[in-house]
Amino acid sequence: MWLLLMPQKPVNQVVDHLFRNEFGKAVTILTSKFGTQHLEAAEDAVQDALSKAMQTWAYSKIPDNPSGWIIRVAQNKLIDHLRRQQKVFYATQLPENSYEIAVPNNEQFKDEMVNMMFACCNPKLSTDYQIILTLKILGGLSIREIATALLKKEETIAKSYTRAKKQFKEENINLELPNSEAIQVRLQMVLKTIYLLFNEGYKSTEGESLIRKDLCEEAMRLNQLLLDKQETNNDWSRSLMALMHFQVSRFDARIDVNGHSISLEFQDRSKWDEQHITLGNRYLTTVTDGMKNSYFLQAAINGIHCAAKTYDQTNWTYILILYNHLYQLNANPIVALNRIYPFAMVNGAQSALEELQKIKNHPTLKENYLVAATSAELYIQLKNNHQAETELLKAIGLCKNQQDLHFLIQKLEQIKKAKPHQV
Amino acid sequence: MKQFLYLFRGGDEGYAKLSPEEMQQHMTKWNEWMLQISKTDEPVPGLPLNNEGKVVEKGGEIITDGPYTEGKEIVGGYVIVEANTLDEAVELSKGCPIFDFGGIVEVREAVEM
Repeated sequence: MWLLLMPQKPVNQVVDHLFRNEFGKAVTILTSKFGTQHLEAAEDAVQDALSKAMQTWAYSKIPDNPSGWIIRVAQNKLIDHLRRQQKVFYATQLPENSYEIAVPNNEQFKDEMVNMMFACCNPKLSTDYQIILTLKILGGLSIREIATALLKKEETIAKSYTRAKKQFKEENINLELPNSEAIQVRLQMVLKTIYLLFNEGYKSTEGESLIRKDLCEEAMRLNQLLLDKQETNNDWSRSLMALMHFQVSRFDARIDVNGHSISLEFQDRSKWDEQHITLGNRYLTTVTDGMKNSYFLQAAINGIHCAAKTYDQTNWTYILILYNHLYQLNANPIVALNRIYPFAMVNGAQSALEELQKIKNHPTLKENYLVAATSAELYIQLKNNHQAETELLKAIGLCKNQQDLHFLIQKLEQIKKAKPHQV
Repeated sequence: MKQFLYLFRGGDEGYAKLSPEEMQQHMTKWNEWMLQISKTDEPVPGLPLNNEGKVVEKGGEIITDGPYTEGKEIVGGYVIVEANTLDEAVELSKGCPIFDFGGIVEVREAVEM
């Protein structure tokens, strides 16, 4: 009991996700130094080194240079392992004094991490593999954590990771960046994976919210590494950063106390994170030519939402213009569908229904509940609750996501309440 | 005030399965606990021990690798704690994070000089 009455003492302050980030750094450095064929051994060595760090630092303060400590311990373990495995070639090639590994400075760390990022996002690997490799190697997440975050089974992720690693080693003999022309092409792949990673964390409100937010943060941390390097800091990487800042600013506001998602219209805008919005705007203004850049256009759309003090003050005209550009850039039926709502806000629900008519039979949209949901929304605006109900029922029949289903059912109950039942 | 020695044994098997994030959380628990059981603003004094070592017998005639005991029994570290009685020292040990992973704490009273 008396323990509870004791005054608060200053606890050893540890940087958030220090161990996780150090895992990524150390595995990258060791893999780069010893070769991708020793990736597993490097992972094991770093895991051991972190375990030792945990047990040692439990007794005292964390050293000033934790990266150096971990890399030294991990490298010694890795060399021991290679010697035991009689991989003498690599082990004996190293002079004794290389036990004292030169711990890279911050810039070198960043370079190596970017190289690793490019290797994980090698276009020869499937996007699923790219995501798992990125999360495991660079993000320092365990298989179990990745499974939780991606809402998959642990054994599924474990199997995928084994296969992904095999292919990773085949495709990446060393961790060197492609030449500067190829960098720009590959960068698009890397950005795509980063955004997928971000969306994995953002799109669903199911599961543990904490680890899902971690995915978003991890995606942003990786993008920051790209921004820190001249060759990979361009309009595209800055636009993506802006987009993620805007989206993440609403992370907490988009979920209610029961874990159900709240649409933009009903979110409490005072809960939007100002700091992220400011950063989003700052990155956005550094982009010189955005109209051919889908990340820029999406970021700008989000930026307009973030700038509106209330839902009614949203500048739908600008949003529609941006959607038009986005559609020109990428004539994708999903973009076309997302464009319908701003179109209705500018041109009225009746013309929007006609616009929707043009795209609703596209094969990609046939099974998509959002077509019927959007149509219901337009009928509600036109005060045609009867049609709205029909469309909502159709949407409910097609919707597979529990969260969205909840949202649709709620909507249906609302209009049923508004419309007195005719028997 | 008397002095007590806590010997920490085992736990290693559980540690091996932790993710980096979980390791950090576990370490933070230890940090907090060692402050909590301290009578000062500093954590209780102590040291972690490597699992590797030598056992020396008969004035060095026999030297063998490592502690005799295996796995769970290996001492992974110690701290020195101040308490008024053995009961109080035992009470304080109950919050030790080693129990999360099946390890044990041996509480020994130091003989007063």
